[in-house]
Amino acid sequence: MKDIEHLLRVAVIFLASITVFLVVRAVVKPESYGKIGRYRAEALDDSKALPVRYAGQKECGPCHKAQVKEKAGSSHSGVSCESCHGALAAHVAAPKGAKPAKPAEAEMRRFCLRCHEASVSKPAKFPVQDGTKHNPDMACGMCHKPHAPKI
Amino acid sequence: MHDAVVVALRETLDKVTGFIYPNELELQWSILIVLYPYLTGLVAGAFILASLERVFNVKVLKPTYRLSLLTALAFLIIAPLPLQVHLGHPERSLNILFTPNPTSAMAMFGFVYLWYLMAVLLLEIWLDYRKEIVGWADTDPSWLKRLIYKVMTLGVFKPTEKSYEIDDRVGRALTIIGLPSAVLLHGYVGFIFGSIKANPWWSTPLMPIIFLFSAMASGIAGVMLLYMFLCWARDVEIEMPCLDTVAKYFLTAVIVAFSLEMLESIQTAYEAEEHFDIIQLLIEGKLYLSLIVIQICLGSLLPILLLGLTQLFELPDKVRKVFYAVSGSLSLIGIFAMRWNVVVGGQFFSKSLMGFTTYKLELAGREGLFSASVLCVLPLFVLGVLLWLLPPWDRKPGKA
Amino acid sequence: MRELPRRDFLKLTASALLTAAAAALAAPAAWAEKFYREPPWRRKKPYWGFGVDIEKCIGCARCVDACKTENDVPREPFYFRTWVERYIIRKDNEIKIDAPNGGLDGYPPVADPETVAKSFFVPKLCNLCESSPCVQVCPVGATFKTEDGVVLIDKKYCIGCRYCIQACPYGTRYFHPVLQVADKCSVCYHRLKRGMVTACVEVCPTGARMVGDLSDPESNVTKFRENNKVQTLKANMGTEPKLVYKGLDKEVR
Repeated sequence: MKDIEHLLRVAVIFLASITVFLVVRAVVKPESYGKIGRYRAEALDDSKALPVRYAGQKECGPCHKAQVKEKAGSSHSGVSCESCHGALAAHVAAPKGAKPAKPAEAEMRRFCLRCHEASVSKPAKFPVQDGTKHNPDMACGMCHKPHAPKI
Repeated sequence: MHDAVVVALRETLDKVTGFIYPNELELQWSILIVLYPYLTGLVAGAFILASLERVFNVKVLKPTYRLSLLTALAFLIIAPLPLQVHLGHPERSLNILFTPNPTSAMAMFGFVYLWYLMAVLLLEIWLDYRKEIVGWADTDPSWLKRLIYKVMTLGVFKPTEKSYEIDDRVGRALTIIGLPSAVLLHGYVGFIFGSIKANPWWSTPLMPIIFLFSAMASGIAGVMLLYMFLCWARDVEIEMPCLDTVAKYFLTAVIVAFSLEMLESIQTAYEAEEHFDIIQLLIEGKLYLSLIVIQICLGSLLPILLLGLTQLFELPDKVRKVFYAVSGSLSLIGIFAMRWNVVVGGQFFSKSLMGFTTYKLELAGREGLFSASVLCVLPLFVLGVLLWLLPPWDRKPGKA
Repeated sequence: MRELPRRDFLKLTASALLTAAAAALAAPAAWAEKFYREPPWRRKKPYWGFGVDIEKCIGCARCVDACKTENDVPREPFYFRTWVERYIIRKDNEIKIDAPNGGLDGYPPVADPETVAKSFFVPKLCNLCESSPCVQVCPVGATFKTEDGVVLIDKKYCIGCRYCIQACPYGTRYFHPVLQVADKCSVCYHRLKRGMVTACVEVCPTGARMVGDLSDPESNVTKFRENNKVQTLKANMGTEPKLVYKGLDKEVR
């Protein structure tokens, strides 16, 4: 016994360390870890709780009936309001407080051409124009209404 | 802190060649992650050298046995530091021990590391030194050291002679466990890279073995140089049979490591898969200096040549010492370059295989050259402390 | 122990060998049956999938913009949850790919359009891998696959080791410079859970993107997969993406 006393002491230190580790682990380990899978189940709630910035097409109709109806019958029917007007969840929550950003008048031509500029890379069926040749000095809106662009 | 990163990344924007996925501009694993396999490699190599003496009873290696163990310990203590410094959230690092993901190679790090540090290295060193420690606890002139030694005896001040015999047997058993542990430690580091299928420069089953043998080369070279330096510093004669044997093992490790690396390269070139073009461009371009010149020519071929000469011809001691010192240093540099080429080189090219990003090594900052240099030198300081506390050579009374 | 009579021993050995041989012969058939793997969405409802119709994408990058707004993605041109690549394949087989600022800055005009064999846009995002390499390598379980098939990041638990970024074959992850954790497309999980579509799908003017429930036989994504010949990116990686493309060219990486 006396011959292995030192080894026994080492063993005690090892076991004590492991015990300390297990105790600390039990205290520190997040409670929801492993409830569903090998992750913190609460992380799901964190992800779900993130704020929404884009309200979605459904939200626009109740207030902006005319515009939504006009758009619905046009070639822009598939383009959601927020595609051009930006994220509007804040506007839906407080219609007076947060006004939607319209594409600025001066920027309009560039804005339209962002989709409609002719390019070899675009699908053949998509309506495009060569911005340098198609009435280069005029604003698009002079002929095409954004909500119903076909003349 | 992050502003500096963003500014630096903006500067690299126009240095991209070809096409990369936009998120790939930032090179995720910096020089610190180069350092990590380098340091663990030195640990594994030094330990394997020690084990050769113990397990295979190579008596001639006695003078380097304890030095190898202490070197391994010094580097092992520092090895996780670069990882820790590199983390985005260092304060959460213990998550890796508390909730390890069993499918993650990295998650096993904590356990492999602790096993190796606690169960193998510390215990083996302690058993080996116990007889001296008990003596020093009484006789050392410094009260501080006496106190430390007393603690290290774990309160067993008057051990029986039989207990030392038991220590010897337990120590040997430990080394036999330790050898595969050292192999595991570093083979596992190679697996961290080798298992990433998304990266064709990393993804090869040879990676753990290549890492292992280059680790042996670097660790043996490191101990060899340290032994030569310490003999010079202490003004004692180098025991040439020991040094020659160490050098022989060193040569073997370099040859095996180099052959494996070349085997891997030949395989890649011959199979010439989808990613071969970009890898060829990588080797000829961004890695030319660090791979072709430093890793292969200076770090592998030249040491093989020099050490080969010492095997073929009977050179005088003085010449051999110079050859050993030069090839050891070259190999240490070359293996650092190898780690760089794997870690950083593997991130230069895009996973789209269509272009390259760049990496600018900053001087200051958490991941700069300065902090990397500190982390590189730190193990030597730790080793200094260990040598002061546990001198591996016979300490003559009255002489420090 | 009693000694086994030699004859019994031989008998035993022979019968063991016979059994093993029979099992070996039967094995291939049993294995072939196992070759079919039931898709997880047979049992899990909902189970999210994504579809991209390359033939509809016009490269307007409204999706990139909306994604950055919806998910607080840093505006710098090297952090993206989604981006749009432009491929230009010349008649002499020269391939050029670009995505200036992920597509947000627009694409410079194509020089010598008459030499172009084909050109198209490819939106990229999380590939919704069924066997996600990123989840596999995360050391702490901070990135994980939910019961409904989405790979998410626990930003309060991520240690910031960046291993997942290395492991993603598609380059869809980045290191968030402020939060100091990995970040990626969450398929707008917060929106899906509220019954909404993702921000990128919401703003896509041409319907090139769609998100839907794979467990619903009538959903848009199920129909998209049934009615078209679809492909995944880097199928050889074995990641089994639930993001599928229609009209994917062989040059797309």
